[in-house]
Amino acid sequence: MLARSALRTARSAGAAARNATSKTASRSASSSSSTAEGAAPWTANALPVGASAFAIGTVAWYYHLYGRNVDAMTPAEEGLHPTQYPWEHAKWHKTFDHQALRRGFQVYQEVCASCHSLERIPYRALVGNIMTVDEAKALAEENEYDTEPNDQGEIEKRPGKLSDYLPSPYKNDEAARAANNGALPPDLSLMVKARHGGCNYIFSLLTGYPEEPPAGAVVQEGLNFNPYFPGTGIAMARVLYDDLVEYDDGTTASTSQMAKDVVEFLNWAAEPEMDDRKKMGWKVLSVSAVLFALSIWVKRYKWAPIKSRKIAYNPPIRSPILDKLPKPNQKS
Amino acid sequence: MGITDFISAAWDTFSTPSPDAEEPAQANKEEESSDEKEESSDDAEEEEEEEEEEETVDPKETLEEECRNSKECHPAKHHYDACVERVTSQIDNDGKASEDCVEEFFHLAHCATACAAPKLFSQLK
Ligand code: HEC
Repeated sequence: MLARSALRTARSAGAAARNATSKTASRSASSSSSTAEGAAPWTANALPVGASAFAIGTVAWYYHLYGRNVDAMTPAEEGLHPTQYPWEHAKWHKTFDHQALRRGFQVYQEVCASCHSLERIPYRALVGNIMTVDEAKALAEENEYDTEPNDQGEIEKRPGKLSDYLPSPYKNDEAARAANNGALPPDLSLMVKARHGGCNYIFSLLTGYPEEPPAGAVVQEGLNFNPYFPGTGIAMARVLYDDLVEYDDGTTASTSQMAKDVVEFLNWAAEPEMDDRKKMGWKVLSVSAVLFALSIWVKRYKWAPIKSRKIAYNPPIRSPILDKLPKPNQKS
Repeated sequence: MGITDFISAAWDTFSTPSPDAEEPAQANKEEESSDEKEESSDDAEEEEEEEEEEETVDPKETLEEECRNSKECHPAKHHYDACVERVTSQIDNDGKASEDCVEEFFHLAHCATACAAPKLFSQLK
């Protein structure tokens, strides 16, 4: 409604403008007034047209002032956006590859564990996902944990149990900082969830150290150039090199293979419920599909008599008497 | 015991063969076969293994190198190379660079990784 009337005014405004020009033209040609008779003067539409122009102007001015994004950071400060990799386990109908998790855990233990903790993962979580009970027990027993205070109130050491959590490389954050040039290696338990880009980011970060920084780039003392890390200067040096670990299953340990495995493992650490969640999703889908199909059959069954019924109208037998009555539209 | 109990018990028994029951057998088989091989060609295998270890190349590096030189990434590579040339000459002439090639590097890296990603993941396990 509003649009239509606006259009109409616009059209008549155009017509008025056309009239005005033709009027002046004709006037300059001859002094006799001939065409201006029926047309409204252009001043009649000046107000709505002016208001519309003002409205458009304010919107344009607002957009000019506030409409665009303000990027205070340079691309280098943002960091390079990681490429999307076709992760098999991320597909909605796929699970973690537990062989890969096992390899990834090996990489974590042999490479990352010397700097990064994984303090939210207990040994029991590894059972059935990454190793057997006996393997996990043996692994736990390699480390010592504090006991409860004994009769004398002294805390002793005992070998680890399945219920213990993976040990951290440093006693506390300060010790970790002191050992790493002031930079804290963050806990990796939830790292996949904690960073924009998740798996893609960590994979790119681990494999993305260029041989040398691009020309002209300034890399601070003690930092390493990595395009994916915001700011491009990261305190962690490249840690993965070809054949750094030797996989039990004979997989070739190239840098990207180790990175892929450890990232999938870290994804498991952050989302151990993923396999179960997908399984539950399929249960929900299949149960509701069955119910949906059932409901269609039941609906058919219930509606069958209603849909197949026949409404019959038998007109009464006309008696000749009616014909004798005057018809309504016949004037008598 | 109702008929449903019977069926579900039967299902549980036959549907999922217990994993531990089969695993050792398989492992044994593998061991046996590898043992045999080792006996037959002991020296040859050792050599092969050594060679393999030396030869491991990261498929990511090779694929991305190919991608960097492909037609797809030509514009990005061209800009990056031009920038490097410019900046090196600045350093040579003035002793310091007035710009850096980080952005050009980003564009090239973005192109190369995007081009290599699917090929790389089809090669990795
Ligand atoms: C020599 C010690 C060391 C090793 C080994 C190490 N890191 Fe790091 N890592 C660090 C430090 C230090 C930082 C903090 C970097 C910073 O804030 O500049 C860090 C940071 C990180 C980050 C966070 C980056 C961010 O966005 O904040 C991730 C993810 C990471 N490391 C993963 C790994 C993985 C996976 C491994 C094993 C393959 C590993 N690291 C091995 C020292 C290490």
